[in-house]
Amino acid sequence: MNTMDLSTLGAGFSDESRGSQAVFRAALQALSHPGRPIEVVHDAEVPRQGHAASAAVLLALLDADSRLWVSPALAAGDAPAWLRFHTGCAIVDDPREAQFAWIAQGPAELPPLQAFAQGSLSYPDTSTTCVIDVQALDAGAAWTLTGPGIADSTALAPRGLPPDFHAQWHTNHAAFPCGVDVLLASARHLAGLPRTTRIDLSVKA
Amino acid sequence: MFHDVDSGPAPSPLKRADWMALLARAPMHMLEHALGAQAEAEVNWLRAPEIGLLMVQGRAGGTGERFNLGEVTITRCALRLAGIAQADAAVGVAYVLGRSRRHARLAALADALLQAPENQPALDARLLAPVRRHLATQRAQRHARAQGTKVEFFTVARESGNGNDDEADA
Repeated sequence: MNTMDLSTLGAGFSDESRGSQAVFRAALQALSHPGRPIEVVHDAEVPRQGHAASAAVLLALLDADSRLWVSPALAAGDAPAWLRFHTGCAIVDDPREAQFAWIAQGPAELPPLQAFAQGSLSYPDTSTTCVIDVQALDAGAAWTLTGPGIADSTALAPRGLPPDFHAQWHTNHAAFPCGVDVLLASARHLAGLPRTTRIDLSVKA
Repeated sequence: MFHDVDSGPAPSPLKRADWMALLARAPMHMLEHALGAQAEAEVNWLRAPEIGLLMVQGRAGGTGERFNLGEVTITRCALRLAGIAQADAAVGVAYVLGRSRRHARLAALADALLQAPENQPALDARLLAPVRRHLATQRAQRHARAQGTKVEFFTVARESGNGNDDEADA
């Protein structure tokens, strides 16, 4: 077994079950109301790299049976060690093998969405759930979202995604029931983009 | 790799693996006694004490193929001493047999304290040496008990009486 350097690691939730349940609730809300920013309240001492909201949601979701892929900027920091210590998850090198992925903010951090596990027609649930850090959820070009969980349409304006994200999402959406689910994370908020959600770049009046 | 920590003199300088092995098997009253007031020291939990199962593996004779011996209940925790900047505070880790959260806490506390070189001589004398003696005594007693049931198998040289009957018949 590898020894881990614990000296830089922070603590997890002070109350493991209640802490992770509260964050799980936030993730559930985010995915049931796609595009609605949900605040993530937690007391974990998160790693220095990456957003606190994404660290908390992964801390709540991962366990010893999960496989996680982290983007290069996060892999270089103490985020993988922190998640491994608290959840026992395995870190994988190939995004296609990952059940969860954590992608840091930055131009070269996000691989194409199609590089992650897509699930199969018999088991679409085996696709990767991607947590993507963005600069902000309300400061970019506005999207109009439609789909299950959205009464009519809703607006989301994430800033810090690659320019071709919309095209990638279109392909992802078209692959239904396969395809990845995405949680966009700002420092304190999560917005869900399940594979059923459609993104239109035009803003409806 | 079999590492005998019970017998032999205290290694010098102290190695973390050695004292952790001792702390894991130190009886709780010895930890309480040796740590004294420090036992109540405030700590920041990195991982609060949690109880779980661990698969113990063994090797026949210490060298054979590895096999699963069975599961044991353990309590583990990781902590930092409070009141020290996080960068300087050593992380104390403990895995102890049984379900006592307090036991794990005390062992981890001792591990954290022992990582500061200035604490080592005092704790070695107050805690590690008695634990070493206790484990050695326990081992000797268990050995003696086992010796009482030992059966010596040896071959008695057959007296040559009326010659070699078997061979004579054949």
